[in-house]
Amino acid sequence: MGPEDLQRGLASRLGAGLLGVDAFDGTAGRIRFDRSVALELFRAMREELGFGHLSTVAGIDWVDRREVVYVLWSDRALQYVLLSTFLPADDPKVESASGVWPSANWHEREAWEMVDITFDHHPDLRHLLMPDGYAFHPLLRSFKLHEPESLEVKVRHV
Amino acid sequence: MGRLSAPEPIVLPARAGAGPTVPAVPFVEIEAVRAKEFVPAAKEALTALVAEQGQDKLIRPVFNWAGRNSLFPLHWGLACCAIEFAAAFGARWDAERFGVVPRSSPRQCDLMIVNGTVTWKVAHKLITLYEQMPEPKWVIAMGNCATGGGPFRTAYSVVPGVDKLVPVDIYIAGCPPRPEAMLDGILQLERLIRDRKE
Repeated sequence: MGPEDLQRGLASRLGAGLLGVDAFDGTAGRIRFDRSVALELFRAMREELGFGHLSTVAGIDWVDRREVVYVLWSDRALQYVLLSTFLPADDPKVESASGVWPSANWHEREAWEMVDITFDHHPDLRHLLMPDGYAFHPLLRSFKLHEPESLEVKVRHV
Repeated sequence: MGRLSAPEPIVLPARAGAGPTVPAVPFVEIEAVRAKEFVPAAKEALTALVAEQGQDKLIRPVFNWAGRNSLFPLHWGLACCAIEFAAAFGARWDAERFGVVPRSSPRQCDLMIVNGTVTWKVAHKLITLYEQMPEPKWVIAMGNCATGGGPFRTAYSVVPGVDKLVPVDIYIAGCPPRPEAMLDGILQLERLIRDRKE
């Protein structure tokens, strides 16, 4: 399945929401899309193109904007494809993929926790690696490393 | 190479009958003391001793002796220091000869050995375990991470030293400390307990 096949298969469904399909570099292609068509793209990738496995969801902070990258794997075509979308830094929201691929649940929790990307309609968007009540998003570029003595995190007693 | 030189030859005793005769062990007759006579006498003597020296001065060393020779650490591992912790209880270092036996329940422990990196995620569980241990209790911070955060000191997810959470009695340096160092820390703690006044 080459980039032309993906372009042809998706363009009719997504219209202007499909921003482009990059040439395959090595093993993985890269589909750039607008966040308004996220759910339609996820469904098409899973149900029509056979990408049944969501390997990871990564959030990236580019200071002026944020990026979410989904890594998909197809058991039939035996290839990876990356989905990439850019979000404005003042409103980093995108539709959750956990309704289409359940494995997105924890990856999106981590992306929200680390770089503050909100996933709409996520079933359980709470802290994954940090304790409840942790007030920072530590992988944001704007996060400053604390002096150890000044790092006061309220530890909740159980 | 003095250690490897041949020992002194062992001179075997002569065969029975050939040498001098061994004197027979004399039979000593001990007068038995009846319990109903012994108990009041002992009680009277102890009461006089306690009145003279004070109860705490007499009993406290006994409790300290018993406590420091049966330290039960909590059996939990946080990071790579737990490997050294486990090795110290193996055949080579055998920490059990000091009476140190890891127990699986905090209710049965009087020593918490924090062996590894403490993250903020595990911090309140550590406090819960510490509070579940009965008094008197002690804490050993094992390794650089538990002592002061180690290489992760400025990280966003790591507690910079477990003494931010619970009071620590002994710090053991090393990354990780050898089992000998852990045993030395336990012996230092035993020295602390020996001098405990209350």
